Amino acid sequence: MRRRQSRDTASETAAGNEDGFEGLRVRDLTIVYGTEAGELAAVRGVDLDLPAGTITGLVGESGSGKSTLALAMLNAVPSPGRITAGSVTMSGVGDITRLRGRALRQVRGGVLGYVFQASQNSLNPLKRVGAQLLDLARSHGVAQPRLILGEAAKLCERMGLDATRVLSSYQHELSGGMRQRVGIVFALVLNAKVLILDEPTTALDMLSQAAVLEVVREIHAERRLATVIITHDIAVVAEMADRMVVTYAGRVVESGTAGDVLRYAAHPYTKALLRSIPRISGDISAAEPLPGRPPDLASIPTVGCVFRERCPLAMPICSDVDPATVSVGPGHTTACHLAAGPLAVPEQSEEVAG
Amino acid sequence: MIEVRGLTKTFAGRGGLLGHRAVPALREVDLQLPPGGAVSVIGESGCGKTTLGRILCGLESYDSGSLLLDGRDAKELSISERRERFQRIQLIHQDPYSALNPTRTIRQTMLASLRLRASATKRSQAWTERRANELLELVGLDPSYCLPRYPHMLSGGMRQRVVIARALTVDPDALVADEAVAMIDVSLRLGILGILRKLRADLGLSLLFITHDVAAARYVGEDGQLYVLYRGQVVEQGPVDEIVQRPTHPYTQCLLSAIPVMRGLERPGPDRLVPLRPLDDNVEPPGCLLADRCPQAQDDCLLGRPPLVSAGAEGHLHACLHPEARSVVATPEPTGSSTR
Repeated sequence: MRRRQSRDTASETAAGNEDGFEGLRVRDLTIVYGTEAGELAAVRGVDLDLPAGTITGLVGESGSGKSTLALAMLNAVPSPGRITAGSVTMSGVGDITRLRGRALRQVRGGVLGYVFQASQNSLNPLKRVGAQLLDLARSHGVAQPRLILGEAAKLCERMGLDATRVLSSYQHELSGGMRQRVGIVFALVLNAKVLILDEPTTALDMLSQAAVLEVVREIHAERRLATVIITHDIAVVAEMADRMVVTYAGRVVESGTAGDVLRYAAHPYTKALLRSIPRISGDISAAEPLPGRPPDLASIPTVGCVFRERCPLAMPICSDVDPATVSVGPGHTTACHLAAGPLAVPEQSEEVAG
Repeated sequence: MIEVRGLTKTFAGRGGLLGHRAVPALREVDLQLPPGGAVSVIGESGCGKTTLGRILCGLESYDSGSLLLDGRDAKELSISERRERFQRIQLIHQDPYSALNPTRTIRQTMLASLRLRASATKRSQAWTERRANELLELVGLDPSYCLPRYPHMLSGGMRQRVVIARALTVDPDALVADEAVAMIDVSLRLGILGILRKLRADLGLSLLFITHDVAAARYVGEDGQLYVLYRGQVVEQGPVDEIVQRPTHPYTQCLLSAIPVMRGLERPGPDRLVPLRPLDDNVEPPGCLLADRCPQAQDDCLLGRPPLVSAGAEGHLHACLHPEARSVVATPEPTGSSTR
């Protein structure tokens, strides 16, 4: 069968060569939360490449640690969480997890643009949008803060917003879709190279969602950003992303080009997730709910596969041994014992191939 | 049977950017919800779909038109009749976080309502405990796990199930689900939709399903009707799959085009349209309400508001001067391509 050419083979080969890589690279990242029950890992041993010019979709349910992971990219994990191992390296900046104080603030909102889940909560309700942009410029040492307003106005027009009106508005005067676009303006106005969108369309209706995604797609291509969309809605990623990373309980369980992960889903979780989405055409009753409860920090197994309790194909080995990340195609990996050893369970080979 | 005829509702101006202005929420809406049937209502934020749901539940007044409950005008019912009748139409809303009292356990929440029910129907207090268990099981929850817990200890999906179980305590014959799964993780939505589907099949409940997720509407009410609301006006209506597969109104086509396509598993519809520009509800076009945003608008669209007329197929109506059937929704890729 014909396969779509993997777009990031270049970045894979550059893995050992820091100079050749442009974008954001996460290596072996572990984040724990200190709780009464001891230290619980919300993110464990995550490797992630966000190359420039690529939209990466990070998919996970509530409790999968995806927002913690995103905040770690800003070195902004809230207490009692902390990064205990690993690195987040950005080309031209270095390891963000080692930055502190002023240097860190320059990076956040500067080369690293972040759009928050509920952008109405990330804008100051007492200040007009324009005044907040000036604050951003001053805090980032822009020589002539007023120039930033011109840049913001251009971005606003670009997104189909009336710049004069938006810049002189308070956040409550803007609709949800407009606020989300304003959030993107804030993220990009200082020429960000990496754009992190946390649930960018969750609170929007379908027309606003389509419009916001269209804007992200265009600006991403125009500025050759490294864009990451974090969402529980696999359909948004399926429409937008070049690469797709599926997380479960703080682990990356599958990653690859979006087309490959959708078509040849290798991990039982990815397959179940895809089956649980009702489709707009075809047999509607083919959709099946995902069994069990979403993971919560306290009940994530520390040994063995994190998905085993909800997995229809769980084997004895899944309780005892962490599944290694194995290749199932060019640039397509999964962490599942079934994919690792098709010979061990020949009768399941159909499931392995998906 | 719940029916509305010529339902019109205008909210008094609350002073937008341009000063005081009235906001029409519903414009002469006709709708029928037969016993055991399903009607899905789609449209963007602010199209009046929530107002429609609230009027059906007796929670909102209306300016003109009529609401008929089993053939009787709601305005002619006595106060006690109204209360009794509207109790049998229960609203499930979007936010299960604010729908439950955070200081009460699920047991207290369920029993408060069941005790009233028990005294109204002359049943014993022992019945309330039994019934609470039954209802929680009906919505797929483990009563021994949920009953002693407070809402914050449950996931969003579980909370929405509790809200549905509580709605069932009064033995309703209709549910109005207003964006009932919008705040739930995609992976858990199907579970909630499955319950609504089951309640229709097993208990014969009728369902008004207000959503912007058309695929969800198909799942709970594929056999029912789909209404498309735009600025308070029904612009297209008909059997769900007829509207999804052969929409004729440009607004419906834009809504359906906005559904993300799962590339690799689905092929985009051949006539998929580009996203509409944002709604400017300060402007009210004199003719067709969509004229200022419509990709197919022509000069005569500004002259008169098109009436809702037959689009040809059985039960399919549209309100457009220049309707044209387009195929905009994605179709599944042939299954053969899913093996390497």
